[in-house]
Amino acid sequence: MTHLLNVRDLRTWFHTDRGIVRSVDGISFTLERGEVMGLVGESGSGKSITGFSLIGLIDRPGRIEDGSSIRFDGRELVGMEERQLRRIRGKDISMVFQDPMMTLNPVVKIIDQIGMAIRAHEPASDAEVRRRAVEALARVRIVDPAHKVDQYPHEFSGGMRQRVAIAIALLHRPRLVIADEPTTALDVSVQAEILKEVKSLVAEMGTSLIWISHDLATVSSIADSIAVMRRGKIVEAGPVRRVLETPEHPYTQGLLDALPSRSRPGELLASNATEAAGKMDFSGLGGAAIGAPPDPAFVEARGVDKIFLAQAGALRRFAIRCGLARPPVPVRAVSSASLTIARGEILGLVGESGSGKSTLGRILCGITPPTDGRVTVGGAPVMDGNRKHGTKVQMIFQDPFASLDPRRTIFQSVAEGPVVHGFCTRGEARAYVDRWLRAVAFDPALADRYPHQFSGGQRQRIAIARALAMQPEVIICDEPVASLDVSIQAQVINLLMELRRHLNLTLLFISHDLSVVHHLCDRVIVMRHGEIIEEGSAAQIFGAPKEAYTRMLLEAIPRPGFDIARVPGI
Amino acid sequence: MSEARPLQSVSPLAAFWRDFRRNRVAVVALAVVVAIILLAVFAPFVVPQDPYDLKSLVLRDARRPPGYVGRDGMLHLLGTDSQGRDLLSAIVYGLRISLEMGLMAGAIAFAIGAVVGCSAAYLGGRIEALIMRIVDVQLSFPAILLAFVVAAILGQGKGQLILALVFAQYAYFVRTAHGAAAAERQKDYVQAALSVPMGGWFVITRHILPNSLPPLIVVATVQVASAISLEATLSFLGVGLPATEPSLGMLIANGFQYLMSGRYWIAIYPGVALIVLIMAINLTGDQIRDQLNPRLRK
Repeated sequence: MTHLLNVRDLRTWFHTDRGIVRSVDGISFTLERGEVMGLVGESGSGKSITGFSLIGLIDRPGRIEDGSSIRFDGRELVGMEERQLRRIRGKDISMVFQDPMMTLNPVVKIIDQIGMAIRAHEPASDAEVRRRAVEALARVRIVDPAHKVDQYPHEFSGGMRQRVAIAIALLHRPRLVIADEPTTALDVSVQAEILKEVKSLVAEMGTSLIWISHDLATVSSIADSIAVMRRGKIVEAGPVRRVLETPEHPYTQGLLDALPSRSRPGELLASNATEAAGKMDFSGLGGAAIGAPPDPAFVEARGVDKIFLAQAGALRRFAIRCGLARPPVPVRAVSSASLTIARGEILGLVGESGSGKSTLGRILCGITPPTDGRVTVGGAPVMDGNRKHGTKVQMIFQDPFASLDPRRTIFQSVAEGPVVHGFCTRGEARAYVDRWLRAVAFDPALADRYPHQFSGGQRQRIAIARALAMQPEVIICDEPVASLDVSIQAQVINLLMELRRHLNLTLLFISHDLSVVHHLCDRVIVMRHGEIIEEGSAAQIFGAPKEAYTRMLLEAIPRPGFDIARVPGI
Repeated sequence: MSEARPLQSVSPLAAFWRDFRRNRVAVVALAVVVAIILLAVFAPFVVPQDPYDLKSLVLRDARRPPGYVGRDGMLHLLGTDSQGRDLLSAIVYGLRISLEMGLMAGAIAFAIGAVVGCSAAYLGGRIEALIMRIVDVQLSFPAILLAFVVAAILGQGKGQLILALVFAQYAYFVRTAHGAAAAERQKDYVQAALSVPMGGWFVITRHILPNSLPPLIVVATVQVASAISLEATLSFLGVGLPATEPSLGMLIANGFQYLMSGRYWIAIYPGVALIVLIMAINLTGDQIRDQLNPRLRK
């Protein structure tokens, strides 16, 4: 019996003005019927391009090079006419994308989207479309499918939308589903449910699945086999257990070592990226926090409330009075939150999207004024009216691609705060900035370049240097590693731990990733719907959680079917 | 992307020029704009006659057709006007004034619009609402009408006309700057600067404004062209520049009365010059817009 999918020497190159980019460069693998394969790699490894190549969705200037072969069920897909490919696409091979917002048309009802997908391959009456749509939604466990099919995508939550996308992908009982980071944009608890459901669905239907992800833990919980990609090549492939327990390639080993869940909390993570970046140089750094006396309530928030209320304009107010428009609904983002952080402590703040954790972080930093309540650092209020008071609290943002001004050089970005606030004069700025860049292992010689010339990890280190250069005593880290690859994530975590040790910094670490929080934080606060529901030391929260919600979050952390922590060589 | 691999770097300007070169029409248009600007700047050294020097005018050579050789041996390539002035020289000097008016008005409106628009987006609340409603009201009037009224009130003169043009046009810049700045205002790098905390003026001028420039540049090319045609219209109607500063609009107006008497060149050639100038600016602007529009970017 032949393989369902046999890929030989697949090369997808992009012929750009700046030369040829070999996104996929000679990969080969086979996939059996009913097999679930995880395709793992860091950003830019070519894993998504591989997925797109399989269903022939490569746009110019990209091209599948001659000599590549993709045999699906005995038929060669490379060089196949577009008309024939379209007959296969969506019927025999279908795809699920990362962002369900992008794949569902916001102005078309769910039933019509499903109808379009059905009628693309076979005629169907309206009644039959309805019957099959309801059936498809029921299959992905959407409650009340008969009613839900008549709704629009915006009436669905992110997780439900992704379920709809999966339902559409499974409509024609395809023999192969390619899922490209389908759970990356979702909360952990939703991700856990979807992983479980997809696993049982493909098993039940006998569908083969290629699960593309950057996250080893997610992949290992669903896949039978795994292929690790790096720079357009597969560096290692095999049964998931074999690859994770006895990785043969140093790159795979490195990826595994960088996972916080595999090392003891508080220890530096093994990270090739940390070594590649060079040593952190802490010489000549100052900081008000160094040698400061301990203070158990250095950062203190008391009864913080934040209510967002959309401002109604004059016209809208008039319409409301006439009963033509509804008054704006206040949104309670944070309600009566109180917390303290001791000097030198790392406090983890966890919660799912919409829990108000970022808003609370911004209030503590003094960017967003609270509706009610009081925030003090070292006894002094962080805000003075609606204006931020002082520079003791600085912030690091989630997306290093957005948090640096694209039109200012690294030097300008880092120097502007210290110069304005008198930490150095304009003349000393160069030497001052260099010291802080060296502290985050960033080569000061590159400081006159613009952010777009650097990778995500480098940019995040620049953003950290910018915060450090203000000589803060407290740093609010809002998901600082969420958009980074694991090896880079390990590097940034290591950096934060080293900085805390050398500079006696107090950190608030906001994250949805519990394994990172477990590794880094001394104490943890769990937020839900704007309220702090549980607080305790890391050991207590992760060892003996009191609240059911916390337990649910902990159970949702993706784990392989076997105990990865006992893998030898750690 | 892997560690420590800065992208091979082409400066943004070089990359821009590389894409620009692909559109032949735009390259030709740009060449025409540059040529006209050079012509206007070096007008005294290029043209055969100083059209303002009344001594050099030969009244008996008035209203001669293109190609006429004057009594003093001067070749009038495009003929002469009613005062015996060499039309080519008059057009080049007219272009000079038209360009000067267009660029000055465009630059001032750009500066006002950028600062007001970005500040409105930064400040938000009532101030933003107030500024934008004023702009909305102004945009609902035809620009020509506003310019006409202001020019009529202020009287003739270069400064007055520039003021009228700025008044008619600044609202487009405010609108565009506000739209771009409101989007930038929400971005993390602005939040990061505010969290330092950096002052409002610093954040507006160093962060928000530079990042809001691309759409403003596009509007600027369109508005300079439109300022030139506005100025020509006003001068044609007699509320623009004084007779001592003959712009293209006035040349057209002067020739207008001869149009039916067969002496077409006195009005037609300044008109052609105006059309060429505005078309060249607009075609260049079109290409810039296409390149700066992220939706069209490959």
